[in-house]
Amino acid sequence: MGSLPELLDGFASAITPLNLLFALLGVLLGTAVGVLPGIGPAMTVALLLPVTYVLEPTSALIMFAGIYYGGMYGGSTTSILLNTPGESSSIMTALEGNKMAKAGRGAAALGTAAIGSFVAGTIATLLLALVAPTVVELAIGITPADYFALAVIAFVAVATVLGASPLRGLASLGVGLYLGLVGTDLISGQERFTLGVPQLADGLDVVVVAVALFAVGEALYVASRLRRGPVEVMAMQGRFMTGQDLRRSWAPWLRGTALGFPFGALPAGGAEIPTFLSYAAERKLTKHPEEFGHGAIEGVAGPEAANNAAAAGVLVPLLTLGLPTSATAAILLAAFQGYGIQPGPALLTTEGPLVWTLIASLFIGNTMLLVLNLPLAGVWVKLLRIPRPYLYAGILMFASLGCYAVNADPLDLVILLLLGVLGFFMRRYGWPVAPAVIGLILGPVAENNLRRALAISDGDLGVLVETWFSRIVLLLALVALVGPIVLRVVRGQRPSPSEVGAGAPATGRPQHRSGTDEPAEVGTPRRDGRDD
Amino acid sequence: MGTVVVGYVPTPRGRAALDHAVLESRRRDALLVVVNTSRGDALVDEEFLQGEALRALSQELAASGVAVEVRQPVHGRDVAEELAAVVEETDAELLVIGLRKRSAVGKLLMGSAAQRILLDVDCPILAVKAPPRGP
Amino acid sequence: MSTAVGREQDQQQEQGRDVGELVLAGLLLALGVYLLVDAGSIAVPGSTNTIGPRFFPYLVGGLIVLTAGALAVRVLRGDRGPADESEDVDPTAGTSWRAVGIVAAAFLLHALLINVIGWPLAVTLMFGAVSWALGAPGLVRPVLIGGITSVLAWIVFVKALNVALPGGTLLEAATSWL
Repeated sequence: MGSLPELLDGFASAITPLNLLFALLGVLLGTAVGVLPGIGPAMTVALLLPVTYVLEPTSALIMFAGIYYGGMYGGSTTSILLNTPGESSSIMTALEGNKMAKAGRGAAALGTAAIGSFVAGTIATLLLALVAPTVVELAIGITPADYFALAVIAFVAVATVLGASPLRGLASLGVGLYLGLVGTDLISGQERFTLGVPQLADGLDVVVVAVALFAVGEALYVASRLRRGPVEVMAMQGRFMTGQDLRRSWAPWLRGTALGFPFGALPAGGAEIPTFLSYAAERKLTKHPEEFGHGAIEGVAGPEAANNAAAAGVLVPLLTLGLPTSATAAILLAAFQGYGIQPGPALLTTEGPLVWTLIASLFIGNTMLLVLNLPLAGVWVKLLRIPRPYLYAGILMFASLGCYAVNADPLDLVILLLLGVLGFFMRRYGWPVAPAVIGLILGPVAENNLRRALAISDGDLGVLVETWFSRIVLLLALVALVGPIVLRVVRGQRPSPSEVGAGAPATGRPQHRSGTDEPAEVGTPRRDGRDD
Repeated sequence: MGTVVVGYVPTPRGRAALDHAVLESRRRDALLVVVNTSRGDALVDEEFLQGEALRALSQELAASGVAVEVRQPVHGRDVAEELAAVVEETDAELLVIGLRKRSAVGKLLMGSAAQRILLDVDCPILAVKAPPRGP
Repeated sequence: MSTAVGREQDQQQEQGRDVGELVLAGLLLALGVYLLVDAGSIAVPGSTNTIGPRFFPYLVGGLIVLTAGALAVRVLRGDRGPADESEDVDPTAGTSWRAVGIVAAAFLLHALLINVIGWPLAVTLMFGAVSWALGAPGLVRPVLIGGITSVLAWIVFVKALNVALPGGTLLEAATSWL
């Protein structure tokens, strides 16, 4: 691989004092938002977008990379010490990690999570550096039709894999695609769906939509059902990683990495699945099966490594194809676009130094996190003593700051509120938010490639399945979309017509209950459509 | 049988208040009601006992030989209101609280819980300070 | 809590959810129809031998209509969306529309006031109202905290990072030396 000298150059430019400072700022900010409820890395990067336009792209992207990795470290800290996994990819960590902390082995749990994240992050970033040029070589010959197929599978994967209800994922995706359509069509110069509002001619700003759906929606949702009462915090006690802990951890770290990276790199849905798989694998392979469910260190080491490796994997399609497969990746794509840089096969040649500096800074950020995270775990938990009213009022304050800074137009804040109300109802009725953000950002890309493909073929739709690549990818998308429906039919169709008729407003409690994961209902033909 | 109420937090001043409350209720042969409350408005409140710490406190109190009841009201009210409510409900003959040192600015910003307790609560109050830090 | 009353309330709430989910599916359907109808009015300039600006909107509109229809059917059959889980959300609590309303109204008001009284002051008012709606004690402390944070944020972002935020006459005059 000829990429090593370029990577070294990347290190050289990442280790300037200023860039190191931005990396540090990024990892600190990232860990903080990973710890705090209500905000995540995607929203933080979105909020910082408008205010970082004064910075050089390199510095800003280095900071964003720090936020990206830092968010995951923060998530594992709260999972272990508070049993509050901020996102679904930390659920597995909370499962064993909090039990370990309860048993007085909190330090060891945090240790294996931090070192595992570091090991996985480092190996996966190295893989990213090795794989990226190869993927780019393969991607150079990619046609617009192939690209459209890739976007379609990313849509389907995000909509159906993230969240519990694929149909609601599709609904959310549809809303995002619509929001992406608003504005002036770049190819024909026509205004679409602007309702005659002049400010909408430029389209909806990614920052406004993302911050509305994530931050304002969350604040309204929390306001509607505010939780009272504190959660139990485990002390970070016990011995930090004994020799035995290390012996039991290293294999899960490596297995987690091996699972996480490819899953992240595929345009098929983020870090959640590999953490589940890693947990299942460790449970099977462990020599201490009796400890699982009571705080087995393998159950922390594996999923935590898988989570971080997947996060690095997500950067492969983002940097080489311009294809985001998670909400944070989508915002990072918007950040690149904001600087006039279009990620894709050409990125490594046109912006090579930038990409290699970014990858180098991922290594640096990862190391910083390892060094900072353990001693600072107590400080992060203190951050959670901020009373909820001030926390959410503060989140709204920064939402206002970030969005006003985009255009200095109060109308953006009104749109922010309207979309925030939408985000509130989406949360309330179980529509995942991430597909909307990905639809907004990837939708225009998909449309452009579709139209380019059809322009080349003179409008013949056959061009979409001309190459084997697009055929296979579209077939996979179709399977992912239709498969669950077929499965449901095979498993047994639920309602009889009379039930459907009675099902409207007067459905009884038992039916509702079956929608909430009660084990008693599993396997019966009356099972509801939660997971199809 | 009378009742002694104590506001408890896991700090030196809370510890001092609890020790005095145990002595008082033993002397008066009264029921000791330990109140450990939280406004419950933050995700983390280290002064609110849960899990192992709560179990340890219960065991320790059980061993002290006085009749004890631990209450942990979380109603979004502050300590003064919670304590006043418990004192009124139990018709307590004594309330024990721990005092903390506050700077003038701190008092301005946060107010003084002790001051509000003194004003709100209608029974005799024993205010205890944390023992000075030993060498 | 008397169980009978509790159950009745529960059922009312569940029925509220039913209606809400149906309304949301209905709105999605309306959005899809709007896309399909309005796409027809997008002007297609010049040569129309390849697909123009209407094609993708039709595609998206179709997807939305199909999804909304399927969603409505599933909701009618008793499928419930799993309400989002969040660390600060009590899944068993009833909905406090009052708090949602105050937060939304405060945010709207601050949006309208920014260009009149400046960002720090508008945000301070919003901060105070939002924390009050979320149960912060008193009014003085929330407003004070909001004021200090917003002025600090304004100074950092405007003076150090050159973000365009109106500071209001007073603050801008007071910090003109920076």
